[in-house]
Amino acid sequence: MSWLDSAQGNLLARYLDLAATRQALITSNIANVDTPGYRTRDIDFHGELQRALQSDGEATTEPIVREVQGLIARPDGNNVSIDRESMLLAEVQLQFSVAEQLLKSDFKTLSMAINEGSSGS
Amino acid sequence: MNLFKVLDISASALLAERQRAEVVSSNLANAESTSTPGGGPYKRMHVVFGAHPMWNHGFAMTLASFTDMNAEGVRVDRVVQDGAPPIRRFEPGNPDADADGYVSYPAINPVEELVNLMGAARAYQLNASAVQSTKNMIQASIDIIKS
Repeated sequence: MSWLDSAQGNLLARYLDLAATRQALITSNIANVDTPGYRTRDIDFHGELQRALQSDGEATTEPIVREVQGLIARPDGNNVSIDRESMLLAEVQLQFSVAEQLLKSDFKTLSMAINEGSSGS
Repeated sequence: MNLFKVLDISASALLAERQRAEVVSSNLANAESTSTPGGGPYKRMHVVFGAHPMWNHGFAMTLASFTDMNAEGVRVDRVVQDGAPPIRRFEPGNPDADADGYVSYPAINPVEELVNLMGAARAYQLNASAVQSTKNMIQASIDIIKS
């Protein structure tokens, strides 16, 4: 781990990665809202994050994509719920911006350490 | 997962829903068309959507992760004709009437088509919101560089 890396930074990067993956899956679910036989897919966001936490945010294994259980399927076999996906779309966007703000402040601290050091003399 | 690729998924859905709206509009426009270049009355058309991985060709597939393969776009697989028999109306004066004086009209229910059109419009809106949301996320990523 170099001095640029921090456990928090790595974890936030993983958080952003997972949010982006989730965004892709939600977008895919929304795109296939009228595709016969399509099943809703998602990742276990908290489980994956937990896994990253246990390994100092350095977990690089692929998140596991699974079909969401317990949704009501239409007669054509499609079980995409527009309400669920719209809600998640908003949620993931907020999660992403939270992680982004935290990462920015992480870098700001680093930049402060660099700049304040030089102006000290 | 590349966020720009996520935009492609939404774009594929916008395209598919627009094609669906086009087909439905064509059904509505031709609800009373009794003759076509192919002969006979206009036949009602349906679109059939299919899910397709966005990384299904070339080198991009080699680089795509397993998760990437799970995020699928949509496209119009087929446009099929409705097999419903035409509605026959007794109109002896019509040039398209057969020997018995009956004219074959397409079996199209305008209400059904309008509901279908509304469904396409709503799905289009939903995908447009997804584009907006993805755009915001890309913008947020750019803001990290700016800080």
